[in-house]
Amino acid sequence: MRRVEVLKNWMMISLVLLLVVLCSACGESKTNPKASEAPEISAPQPVTQDASPSPPRVKTHPVTTGTRETYQWYCAQCHGIKGKGNGINAPHTAVPPRDHTKAEYLETRSDEQLFHVIKFGGLAGGRAPCMPRWGHTLNDDTIHALVNYIRELCECDYL
Amino acid sequence: MILNRMPRPMILSSAGVGWQIARLMVTVLWLSFVMPAHATPDVSLLKKNGCAECHRLNPEAPLDSRKGPDLFFAGDKFQADWLTRWLQEPVVIRLSGFITDTGFLKGEPTLATPHPKLDLGKAEAVTGHLMQLRMEGLEDAPSAELNEPLSKGKRFKYKILFEREYGCIACHQSVNLAYQPRGGVSGPSLLSAGDRLKADWVYRWLKNPKKFEKRGRMPLFEFNEEELQALTRYVVWHKQSEGQ
Repeated sequence: MRRVEVLKNWMMISLVLLLVVLCSACGESKTNPKASEAPEISAPQPVTQDASPSPPRVKTHPVTTGTRETYQWYCAQCHGIKGKGNGINAPHTAVPPRDHTKAEYLETRSDEQLFHVIKFGGLAGGRAPCMPRWGHTLNDDTIHALVNYIRELCECDYL
Repeated sequence: MILNRMPRPMILSSAGVGWQIARLMVTVLWLSFVMPAHATPDVSLLKKNGCAECHRLNPEAPLDSRKGPDLFFAGDKFQADWLTRWLQEPVVIRLSGFITDTGFLKGEPTLATPHPKLDLGKAEAVTGHLMQLRMEGLEDAPSAELNEPLSKGKRFKYKILFEREYGCIACHQSVNLAYQPRGGVSGPSLLSAGDRLKADWVYRWLKNPKKFEKRGRMPLFEFNEEELQALTRYVVWHKQSEGQ
């Protein structure tokens, strides 16, 4: 009987160890792609054991339904419903509106540059003057979220 | 003699005060009968002509109900002569439809355009009623400066402000140097804006659009006084008589 109990205990310990190993592997695979971005919560996490996984990293200004609605309400007039630069004003502007699905261009622009152009307008950022400034219409958080939405549309990051 | 010529100080007797209070009360009572006509204008004729099916005639109506521009400040915004002409021969001003139209972003408005036509009699009657619709508490506008004729030099200067500095041309139709239409279609066309709109209203709109439009698609700006006057004068320069 005693041998059976000892065997049971060993089985339980090995099961717990297996779970710990599996969990740490999931955490790593999640955090890797977004390793360059700051996590939303910077407060130190309680350390339970030495091999604990790092906390999952989250975009500071996540793209929400509100972000998509804002894009449709304002930006889509020129940049198009799907961000392809073919909005209703596109045929009439001196410089074609930017195609937000085009990674070749957008990966050459940093998030800060995109934020600056949305907030202060194209002219202030050395780009097309047709792009008005939105800094009195949208707050900084919304503009940051719009930058992240553009990153979603182009499926790209700043190189 | 001198004493006789001097005005006598007015002494109010208690009976005089009572009489004045009574007069005041009668005046207030009379105004209470007359004033509501101004505070809540009669919109029955406008409703009878179907205006309320698409336009909000008072600011309390739900924002979601509008299918066309708000008209509860039509008297502040429009020029009466233009309204009467336009109601008889309506031309499309919002080339992609109204901002709430489900087809707006595709440039295919679902609402039938152009606007229903009215005969002269009806157009004049509707104009008369629309011009009664005004907002209270609007701030003063420098009318004299805004309505001054624009020199060619200033027009080019203001054109740069309009097109390059603020990018208005991306959404609003204006004209190029050959007076040909040029510009975006999501905002109302500004061709003939000077025939259509009152300069004071354009100034107030640019200064504080939230006063008139709670949820528009136009960006908000914080223009200084010089820019406000320059852009207003440029917008109202667009007239049929200017070769368009």
